[in-house]
Amino acid sequence: MMTCLEFRRRIGAEPFAADAAIEAHRRECVSCARHQDELRAMDGLIQRALEINPPPRESAAAPAPPRAWRPRFFAIAASLVAGVAVALIVLVAVPRAAIAREVVNHVLHEPDATGGAASLPPAAVAAVLDPSGMRLGHGAGAVSFAESCVFDGQVVPHLVVQRPEGPVTVLVLAHRSISRPIRFAEQGYVGVVLPAPRGAIAVVGQDVADLDAVAQQVFDAVEWGK
Amino acid sequence: MNRGDGETDRRRRFGDLCESLRPDLLRFAWWLGRDRGLAEDVVQESMLRAWKSFDALADERKAKAWLLTIVRREFARSFEKKRLELSDVDALVAAESAVLAAPEDDRVGLMREEIFRLDAEYREPLVLQVLMGYSTQEIADMMGIQQGAVLTRLFRARARLRQQLGLAPQHEA
Repeated sequence: MMTCLEFRRRIGAEPFAADAAIEAHRRECVSCARHQDELRAMDGLIQRALEINPPPRESAAAPAPPRAWRPRFFAIAASLVAGVAVALIVLVAVPRAAIAREVVNHVLHEPDATGGAASLPPAAVAAVLDPSGMRLGHGAGAVSFAESCVFDGQVVPHLVVQRPEGPVTVLVLAHRSISRPIRFAEQGYVGVVLPAPRGAIAVVGQDVADLDAVAQQVFDAVEWGK
Repeated sequence: MNRGDGETDRRRRFGDLCESLRPDLLRFAWWLGRDRGLAEDVVQESMLRAWKSFDALADERKAKAWLLTIVRREFARSFEKKRLELSDVDALVAAESAVLAAPEDDRVGLMREEIFRLDAEYREPLVLQVLMGYSTQEIADMMGIQQGAVLTRLFRARARLRQQLGLAPQHEA
């Protein structure tokens, strides 16, 4: 026969335990049965508490309240202006910063990708692009690295193209929509994300002169398929 | 099936897994690290690692436990780098107040904050048991500890919560 101490230790770890020994003790001890019921109810609360949805870190931005000493009309006007400013920052700057940071972090994560300069056979490049229904024409340059990588929870083609200006990393982000080009310079990299017929395409390099022109040539060499 | 078809299928299967499991992985990583930025980074790194070793996953029905284990390892790596930054729990509570808030039910908000304040050794098995639905033996396997240790930690976690929320006498914890 299970003692009260054994019962409480067990259900303290597993409130929904319901084997023969537990059930037998419940029938014999009203106090322990009530204790288990309380723990089961608490577990319902624990479950609800754990079911959080962490928002993206950028979405926490909110306008600061106006200072109390200001005249009311001025405070309202100031808060409206602040609200519009914050909204603009959130709408424009945050997506820009987010995608730039993600792209650069991804490039930093694969430092070996830009190491080799030897060209891959076209079949190796096609194997990476085929699932996306895309092709890369000769105008882009020789491809020295081609892998399917995970970016933002999606599998995306990751290429390194050898250009006269230096190697550039190309990420095809079919799942990300942007309305206009996003240029960035972060952690020693310069890059641009261009809107594409399907999502976006990011071109990133180090010390690449006229990256915009390079990116446009790569972009023009992509056959997007249907 | 040619190589292209195989790759397409592999990508589709992995993409489906990521899409369905990412919210749980993010929740788990957040409860481990108690930091949104860290959780996102850990999950992103974990998915990269998972993709690279996707072929090692023999049974996709076990994908969730496999991915959670990868998240645990990735978190341990990240935490080593950020150990000093994560020592002030009051600052963490303030920083994560948007996630901790539960305007629909004060009790949920209070419980959330108390779980947030639990030591990691108690918080993690509680999340794996209550939120992820794993048995104590499965949790022991994932955490690399004995089942008895998991039972002890779960008991203490609940006792601590009951004490903090005024539901239990002092001696119980």
